[in-house]
Amino acid sequence: MEKEILENGLNHNRRKFLSRLSLGIGSAALGSLLIPDLFTGKKEAEDSLMRALPHFAPKAKRIIYLFQNGAPSQLETFDYKPLLQKNFGEELPESIRMGQRLTGMTAGQKSFPLVGSYFEFNQYGQSRAWISSLFPHLASVVDDLCIVKSMHTEAINHDPALTFFQTGAQVGNRPSMGSWLSYGLGSENENLPAFCVLLSRGKGNGQGVYSKLWSNGFLDAKHQGVQFSNSEDPVLYLSDPHGMSRDQRRKMLDQIAAMNDLSYQEFNDPQITAKVQQYEMAFRMQTAVPEITDVTKESDSIIKLYGPDCLVPGTYAANCLLARKLSENGVRFVQLYHQGWDAHDNLPNQMIGQAKDVDQASAALITDLKQRGLLDETLVIWGGEFGRTNYCQGKIAPENYGRDHHPRAFSIFMAGGGVKSGIVYGETDDFGYNIVENPVHVHDFQATVLHLMGIDHEKLTYKHLGRRYRLTDVHGNVVKDLIA
Amino acid sequence: MDSKSRIFFWLENLLFFWIGLIVILLIGGKSLSIPTWIQVIGRTHPLILHFPIVLLLLAIAIVWIPNSDWGKTGKPILVLGANLAGFTVVAGLILATEDYEGTSFSWHKWLGIATFFLSTGIYFLLKKQTQSLKIGSTVLAVVLVLTGHFGANLTHGDNFLFEPVLSKEAQLVAFGDAEVFRDLVQPIMEAKCISCHKEGKMKGELRLDKIEGIKKGGETGPFFLAGDTENSLFLQKIHLPLEDEDHMPPKNKAQLTDEEIEILRLWVASGGSFDQKVADLNQDEPLFQLASNRFTSEKTYSFSPASEDDIEELNNFFRKVKPIYPGSPALEAAYFGASTFDPNSLSELKSVKKQIVRLNLNRMPLQEVDLGFLQDFTHLEELQLNFTGISSSQLKSIENINSLQSLAISGNSLGSESLESLKKLSSLRKLFFWESNLTEDEQKSLQDALPNTKIDFGFDGKGIILQLNPPKIETEKIMFDDSVEVILSHPIQSVQIRYSLDESEPDSISSLIYSKPVFIKGTSTIRAKAFANDWIRSEETKTTVFRKGIQPKSFMLAIEPNPKYKGIGAETLFDGVKGKANHTSGEWLGFTDSALEVEISLKEGQHPKSIQASLLLNEGAYIFPPESAELWVAENSKWKKIEVPKPKESLKAEGARYGFLNFLLPEEDFDQIKIKLKPISKLPKWHPGAGAKGWVFVDELFIY
Repeated sequence: MEKEILENGLNHNRRKFLSRLSLGIGSAALGSLLIPDLFTGKKEAEDSLMRALPHFAPKAKRIIYLFQNGAPSQLETFDYKPLLQKNFGEELPESIRMGQRLTGMTAGQKSFPLVGSYFEFNQYGQSRAWISSLFPHLASVVDDLCIVKSMHTEAINHDPALTFFQTGAQVGNRPSMGSWLSYGLGSENENLPAFCVLLSRGKGNGQGVYSKLWSNGFLDAKHQGVQFSNSEDPVLYLSDPHGMSRDQRRKMLDQIAAMNDLSYQEFNDPQITAKVQQYEMAFRMQTAVPEITDVTKESDSIIKLYGPDCLVPGTYAANCLLARKLSENGVRFVQLYHQGWDAHDNLPNQMIGQAKDVDQASAALITDLKQRGLLDETLVIWGGEFGRTNYCQGKIAPENYGRDHHPRAFSIFMAGGGVKSGIVYGETDDFGYNIVENPVHVHDFQATVLHLMGIDHEKLTYKHLGRRYRLTDVHGNVVKDLIA
Repeated sequence: MDSKSRIFFWLENLLFFWIGLIVILLIGGKSLSIPTWIQVIGRTHPLILHFPIVLLLLAIAIVWIPNSDWGKTGKPILVLGANLAGFTVVAGLILATEDYEGTSFSWHKWLGIATFFLSTGIYFLLKKQTQSLKIGSTVLAVVLVLTGHFGANLTHGDNFLFEPVLSKEAQLVAFGDAEVFRDLVQPIMEAKCISCHKEGKMKGELRLDKIEGIKKGGETGPFFLAGDTENSLFLQKIHLPLEDEDHMPPKNKAQLTDEEIEILRLWVASGGSFDQKVADLNQDEPLFQLASNRFTSEKTYSFSPASEDDIEELNNFFRKVKPIYPGSPALEAAYFGASTFDPNSLSELKSVKKQIVRLNLNRMPLQEVDLGFLQDFTHLEELQLNFTGISSSQLKSIENINSLQSLAISGNSLGSESLESLKKLSSLRKLFFWESNLTEDEQKSLQDALPNTKIDFGFDGKGIILQLNPPKIETEKIMFDDSVEVILSHPIQSVQIRYSLDESEPDSISSLIYSKPVFIKGTSTIRAKAFANDWIRSEETKTTVFRKGIQPKSFMLAIEPNPKYKGIGAETLFDGVKGKANHTSGEWLGFTDSALEVEISLKEGQHPKSIQASLLLNEGAYIFPPESAELWVAENSKWKKIEVPKPKESLKAEGARYGFLNFLLPEEDFDQIKIKLKPISKLPKWHPGAGAKGWVFVDELFIY
């Protein structure tokens, strides 16, 4: 009897429990109607982000950013200032300098003698843009260029200025522009990383580049730039070890995936699935990368176009060619750095060397994209982190002088990808020191680049440490005049 | 009467008070003159109205609860609710004197009054829990809900409730169709003005939801004066400081952005037309530029979108199919990974054949693949077939695609047979045809046949002669025992590499042609250049390899080198490490104030024939060949000077490089060698440092 009483009690409790549970289940089911992908296993947040991006019809699908690291002088490239040649050696008027802070390198200098370009300037193309004699190849494609002579930045030294350009902040803990685009738009080709980095170095005075420049910051690690090696094997450790066949590799990955799946079931850590996905990506890269990095099949006209150095791994020309191949295969953002533009002294000589490195290959990249019908959808950007002073640093002679860092005005150019072609935007004063028309701040530039990719720079955000971050911080205006 | 009944008594009486007031207000209508303090009561309407709603619904609920005590619970709640309904109606009628009219308003007003009278009626007439009470309360519930609904429409706009479920297709306005008023000005008014200036809520007797209202203006005058931005009333109000009472929109409402203000101002400035098209504006006009940023220059498509599942199914690692921008029915498709390409997968695209406008098949091996399926892609605008290996016969499949605007067929060497098909593509706007394999005449005939097409034949490199880059010289080591393998290479396969081992400059006629690795047995300099047709010969590269000499019994320096450049001491000279061409590398001994003087004792049985000093030369850094050299040998410490030629002088600065001094040793027997190299005491006149002392740098002595 006692047993029956006990069982009855248990039954009673069970019934009560079940009926209440059914209520709970019912309300949960009702609530779940608000979570559309609850049962399909999709990551809703990321998915909805991806569905919403791009925010509008993009003009460009991909970017190749030819970063001229060390800051090429605007006064020997695109910003022609005859006044500086005429007033050679005269003091920079204080009314022009207006208390601009100086770097430690010229702060002690007693005099600031103006110095004009050692190189001649000529006008080219339909746009009649002025280009120095150092860049004959770029001059030949001038009608494809959108030259901005009115860039300005906040930093005055290389590292903060570079970091500012790449991440939108001078302190290096934010995601790089390529990482933001990888996060926002993903990879076009899932067999390659969305963000690739290529380095080269000229003979000029150089400033280092560091991996923080292509860091994912607080974004997921998969958005970090993949640095290609300068050796003949651009992606290290990608090839299978000797004696391992592709089948064996496949079997190995399957086994590892099965084991990873077991631990996923135990711990439910999403990092485990991320790891498996990365193995699979690497497996696909094993066939995709050699297809792309093989330059032996490029035709003779391509070698002539980029110059024969394009076949020497690690040169700027080779990186331009590789950038074209990566971009053509759907890599969203290819970031090049060419070091050696920091000409504090012996500027004319250093510029000759640097220009020889980059002129032909930069122009070649534009021509090459164009003849394949890809320039319309690929944005090419060329420029440094700031400009150089209109006065001489150190000893002054018409053929031998130096220039210090100058953040107030400098020139860059863009091509293709929905920017106007054959225009020169912005103007500096006759001294080439201050902007007098249409200034473009680094954040404006970043906002414009994102806009061209179909992204509203104010909407591409990531929440981290309690606030939403974006590439342009809380600044930036799209420069609509640059957009075709 | 106890206190409870007293409260009921007063509450019941109050109901009649409301009835009276309501009747008065209804009769007075618009002609009432309401003092300002009474207006405050009117404005409590939106606050108070929530109480009767809750209380009346609660009372109605009690009617339907079985076994509930209507008299004890329902009735007190109902009487309280009815009173608050009365107050709400009164306040509402007062508020209504402030510019409210329209259908929503009338419905709200009369239903609200009905709510009050119904609840009052139910309270007095239906005392018991009866069927009639149930019916009455149901009617009350319906009336109450409708009143609330129309009220919400008044404050939040029509369709407020159902807006989320009503289809709201994003209207993408194409630039060509956009009108200044309809697509620029009106959306701003709808977003920021109309909630107060519309039918039913004509604040200031102004309504902006109809063009007539905008033309008519409000109580203080016309809304705007065409072309006169200074005196247009609404622009004045917009520009008042935010704190100003007359500032529009009111402080607590969403404000106009700078761009919106600019658009409104420019619209008035341009004459305030209601049918001006954006595209007809002068391109220099600021309004045109503002507008051009707002409307999509993208074409809009009228065909229906493909199903999301169909699109999703087509996406995999090697094929991406997605809308050209979010919400567009038009799709773009791209293939990646030539090695994994399966031609059969192309037919799967048929499920979206109507929607695909861009197709990228670059680098996919399409030889022999039937491209006939492309004819079904009726909206295909952009086709990329670069480096696909297609032949001219395959082009026939696309010659009938009338929608095609851009075609890329670079890198296929199609040649003249392709002309027939290409010339039919009259709709084409862009053709990318690099490496076309067409003659200049054929290129011209194609351009003539397609006058509206921009054809890019690309860069063929013809007639451009560039300098080759130098070949690369690779050796396993620079210093070797017996022989060393030297490999020359050049990234361009077709070049010829010529080299010399005898210090002569390589040329394209007499120098050795490199074909396979060279084995070198003695110290030599390899000089090499690359040659090719249509290219300028490369600069020279050179490398010197050194055969190691014998190791003597002992050796010592007479005078220590300069302390800045002392290498690892005397050992440096026989350590088998070739210094880098840089005097600061720590592998060199440097002398300036004194001469290098080294005494070497040979092992028994060693009979060397020559001795070589390995120098560094870099005139720019004051490093010169020695001014003089002396060679001595000794047998049993009897020293004898051997005549040697004077070292060659430097005549110009040439940059850091290696140099040698070779001395032949006499045939006679000797067991010691002494060598003395004196640095240049006065730099020559041509040197910037003329007259100063020079340096001698030595890193190794070789005794053969």
